[in-house]
Amino acid sequence: MTVPDDVTRLLAERFGLESGDPITVSRDRVVELGGALKEAGFTYLVYVACAHYPATDAEPDRTVAEYRVRRLPVDEVAFRVWVPTGESTPTLVPVFAGCDWQEREQFDLVGTIFAGHPDLRRIMLPEDWEGHPLRRDYDIATRHHPWR
Amino acid sequence: MSVILENPWLLGAVAGFVVINAMMVTAAWSIWFERKFAGAMQNRPGPTQVGWAGLLQPVADLLKLIQKEDIVPTNADRALFNLAPPLGMILVLAGLAVFPWAPGWVPADLDIGLLFILSISSLITIPVWMAGWASNNKYALLGGMRAAAQAVSFEVPLLLSALVPIILGGSLRLGDIVAAQADGRWFALWPPGPGSVAFVLFMLASLAEANRIPFDIPEAESELVAGITTEYVGMKFGLIYLAEYLHTAVSSLLGATLFLGGWDGPGPDGIHWLLLKSFALFAGIFWVRWTLLRYRADQFMALCWRVFVPVSLACVAVAAVWRVYA
Amino acid sequence: MDPENYDPEGDLMILNLGPQHPSTHGVFRVKLWLDGEVCIKAVPYPGYLHRGVEKLCEKLSYVMITPIVDKNDYVSPFINELAINMAFEALNAVETPRRANYLRTLGAEMQRVGSHLLWLGTFGLDMGGALGGGASVFMHCFRERELILDCFELWTGSRFHYNTLTVGGNRHDVPAGFAELVRQTYTLIGQRADEYDAMLVDNAIFRARTKGVGTVDAKLAMELGVSGPILRASGIDWDLRRDRPYAAYNEVKLDVPVRYEGDCFARYEVRMAELRESIRIVLDLIDGIPEGPICALKPVKLPGAYKGKVGQAYAAVEGPRGELGTWVIADGTDKPYRCKIRPPSYHAVSLIPYLAPGNNVSDIVVTLGSLDPILGEVDR
Repeated sequence: MTVPDDVTRLLAERFGLESGDPITVSRDRVVELGGALKEAGFTYLVYVACAHYPATDAEPDRTVAEYRVRRLPVDEVAFRVWVPTGESTPTLVPVFAGCDWQEREQFDLVGTIFAGHPDLRRIMLPEDWEGHPLRRDYDIATRHHPWR
Repeated sequence: MSVILENPWLLGAVAGFVVINAMMVTAAWSIWFERKFAGAMQNRPGPTQVGWAGLLQPVADLLKLIQKEDIVPTNADRALFNLAPPLGMILVLAGLAVFPWAPGWVPADLDIGLLFILSISSLITIPVWMAGWASNNKYALLGGMRAAAQAVSFEVPLLLSALVPIILGGSLRLGDIVAAQADGRWFALWPPGPGSVAFVLFMLASLAEANRIPFDIPEAESELVAGITTEYVGMKFGLIYLAEYLHTAVSSLLGATLFLGGWDGPGPDGIHWLLLKSFALFAGIFWVRWTLLRYRADQFMALCWRVFVPVSLACVAVAAVWRVYA
Repeated sequence: MDPENYDPEGDLMILNLGPQHPSTHGVFRVKLWLDGEVCIKAVPYPGYLHRGVEKLCEKLSYVMITPIVDKNDYVSPFINELAINMAFEALNAVETPRRANYLRTLGAEMQRVGSHLLWLGTFGLDMGGALGGGASVFMHCFRERELILDCFELWTGSRFHYNTLTVGGNRHDVPAGFAELVRQTYTLIGQRADEYDAMLVDNAIFRARTKGVGTVDAKLAMELGVSGPILRASGIDWDLRRDRPYAAYNEVKLDVPVRYEGDCFARYEVRMAELRESIRIVLDLIDGIPEGPICALKPVKLPGAYKGKVGQAYAAVEGPRGELGTWVIADGTDKPYRCKIRPPSYHAVSLIPYLAPGNNVSDIVVTLGSLDPILGEVDR
């Protein structure tokens, strides 16, 4: 998917960001970018997805949160934000109501913390589950209640 | 023989024994009939395994229900919980005491037979509400409350439409009402108008009284799991279930008696005509059940108060005018 | 009434609808705060069917994932396979052959009819109960769905979890006599679709139960990512098959039904129109499938034979419930680094907290049924 021209212009003029698929944005501007995109007509939230990257020589242990929004019928923009483990990224729930369940799911499975989320509880796993199964360092043999 | 006929107590006991057993057996096999009937409507054979064409299925069901462990929820009101199913059964069967089966065949020929039946059958709401309340289950409670609301509403059109044969027949005695319909002057057909409308209303209100689809909101298994019967297992559930079928059977007998001339028919009068007519009504109720969806509680109260009550009042008025001037 | 200041002795009753409840379409729990029978607040608790599909995707190689996602949306496995394999193909920019594209389109439309039939049957159950008119609708719909499963059995050897698509194309070509069977089956279902309309739309009770119930606001639905028939019933004319054609949809004539009321009845109408449209597409396609190979890659002999190029891809298809997408990150090995499945039902179920308040229990059940959630897909 190529990024539409008006988004490329918006990114360059207002955010000083390079366009791309996905667009990488810093944590302090992600809410602003989400709001600007929503104003530009990207009102459809496709998904929020996170992935975990263990620490390397160059980078610390971190997760990436990717948001994909759509302007019907075809234009699509994905923007991502890197979140070092132990820190949090601001939630986009005030911008897109659908981020509520999406961010909850990613918090549950990947462990990305969304600051300011109204209801950041586990959604897929039991409340007393330990760890986040989609992290690369998660021991799949961990035994859990009621089997432990 | 003559000892029995001369002693009213013995006669009553024998008549009661025969009627109750006949009705229980009929209700049990009506479940078989309904399952076959539903199967035919849904392109499937229905029960086939137990006995010829599955005819022994009610026996198998009964054996299964009796063998079940009798569970009473810990926090249930034990006395009411255990009392509700048999009480429902007793009340349904009690109405049959005054029923005229054929000329002269009336177990207890009361002057106010119809009033007796209607008041007894309106009491059936109490065991239903008891079952809902005593189960200490939220679904059962909702079901019981719905049943109470439904009974309060549908009692009105039921009684009003039953007033029409009372006015036309000039009596509260069921035998007199049937006699007034002799020679094919059935109230559902003659006089044209109030009788037939009241007949339809009476059957619909009876459906609601017996908690049958489209008015089976107290049980509403897709919403309330099993409504009032959620916590019941084994034969207690079986009794509630059987009472529901019996109630339907009593309603169709009453409909046939009040509006379709009871034992009257071409050729010799007798019990066969009553049974044939009530069987037709019974099958009609099943047909409705397996065809229609369920109303929502508020919609169906609206239907009751905005349609059934005014129309049945109009029927009563027209019937009264007919009675006086024609 | 404020659910926070709930007085356990009086005001509100908390009702746990589910997870073992006949009309939650699987195991789904909604906690309802009821005032009488009217819902004040609803909090859904999904997750009872969570099987860690995304974790499994990380542990299995690309070609081994297809049979896993079959079990996600267990009502339309073919479309699940299509969605995940399209994402894997997008990673390496694999072009599927034309015949494979046509077969995929055919299979997806055949599956959509089956899925909508199942929805219609269970929707009837929600309103009529398992012992009543609803069961009649259910039985009639399942009679036709069996025929569809027979078609798939002839094609792939399985009635349900086909494992027929693979990266680069299809695994099974259609056998002799398939076209004839499909033509007969779908012509028959097309005729019987009118019977369902006669059974339901002509029924005053059905109209009373669905019209004006569970109205979905289009703006909110888009923010929540709700798609498919629910969005189209709220007046948003958008369909991935038409707007972003995949497989052979750019060569297929497609009418997208749209309704504007947004209530349960509109969703029923949209799904019935889609059912007829899919039947038409199947009957159009069945005679025009081009000849040629069915897979662009050599048949995979080893599970690790296919490796995704480093990068990420998102591919989406229009499933019976809406946009079914897959977001995949590849790290150059034979297994995906991260694979997120975007299920339409998860987004649809997130409407419940907005739709339930103000309705009574009966309407909540009907609304939930009209959203057509498949809990295997919600929880994954």
